[in-house]
Amino acid sequence: MKRRNFLQGLLLSSTVAMTVSPTLLSAEEKKAKKVGPNDMDYKTAETAISAGKEVKESDKIKLTVPEIAENGAVVPVKVEVDHPMEESNFVKAIHILNTKNGNARSADVMLTPMNGKGYFATRIKLGGTQEVVALVELSDGTFLKTAKSVKVTIGGCG
Amino acid sequence: MAEERKSMIKIKPKKFKVGDIVKVDFIVIHPMETGMKKDKKTGEYIPAHYIDSVTFSFDGKPFTTMKSWETISTNPYYSVNFKVPAKGKITVDYTDNSGEKNSKSKKVKPKG
Repeated sequence: MKRRNFLQGLLLSSTVAMTVSPTLLSAEEKKAKKVGPNDMDYKTAETAISAGKEVKESDKIKLTVPEIAENGAVVPVKVEVDHPMEESNFVKAIHILNTKNGNARSADVMLTPMNGKGYFATRIKLGGTQEVVALVELSDGTFLKTAKSVKVTIGGCG
Repeated sequence: MAEERKSMIKIKPKKFKVGDIVKVDFIVIHPMETGMKKDKKTGEYIPAHYIDSVTFSFDGKPFTTMKSWETISTNPYYSVNFKVPAKGKITVDYTDNSGEKNSKSKKVKPKG
């Protein structure tokens, strides 16, 4: 009699456990913050691009962004680099980064002398007020950057 | 199988000579989903779906290659400069994270 009750009790509790556990797991999953597919913070992205080399602030880079973006989903960004574009000396890459999105990277543009000018423009999403950074690599291995703050009233990443 | 996507290559200014530096704009219709947005009807996250690479070539020779991330705005706009070496054709090849590949071309007709 005791053994039977014990077995019944065991069956009952395991059934209860099976119905309760899946719910608990989902609740935990819901509490966990949603991570994007390519999340990386600014510092890690900058170090990865420059391979740890020094990145100097430079006024050779003209970065044009709005001071205030009405719509964080569409923020125009323009980068112009005052540097030759000759076979032996040219702007090798322009990277557009941001400082507070889950993914700090927006674009990595590899240029060649055929471009004629170190220039790139696009429109990016900003999840909130933050800095947009133009990180430039020259063909001699030098890394330069400049940053500008954009005030965002309605965030555009979600 | 490549889906037909609406896209456009614009060259500015319209009139240019060999040796001039022109602006080449590429615009394409694409949702650029970040994977962070929920479908309001189902409550499920909409999977990330974005253009991840774009290559500009002139007569088959690449002159600009780029990595594009999901942080680029919907219906992306990419603009570069190009020093016109001769009459020819600019082609923009692009791929997205689902493996979809597409291409758009435009003739380059310098005057003089």
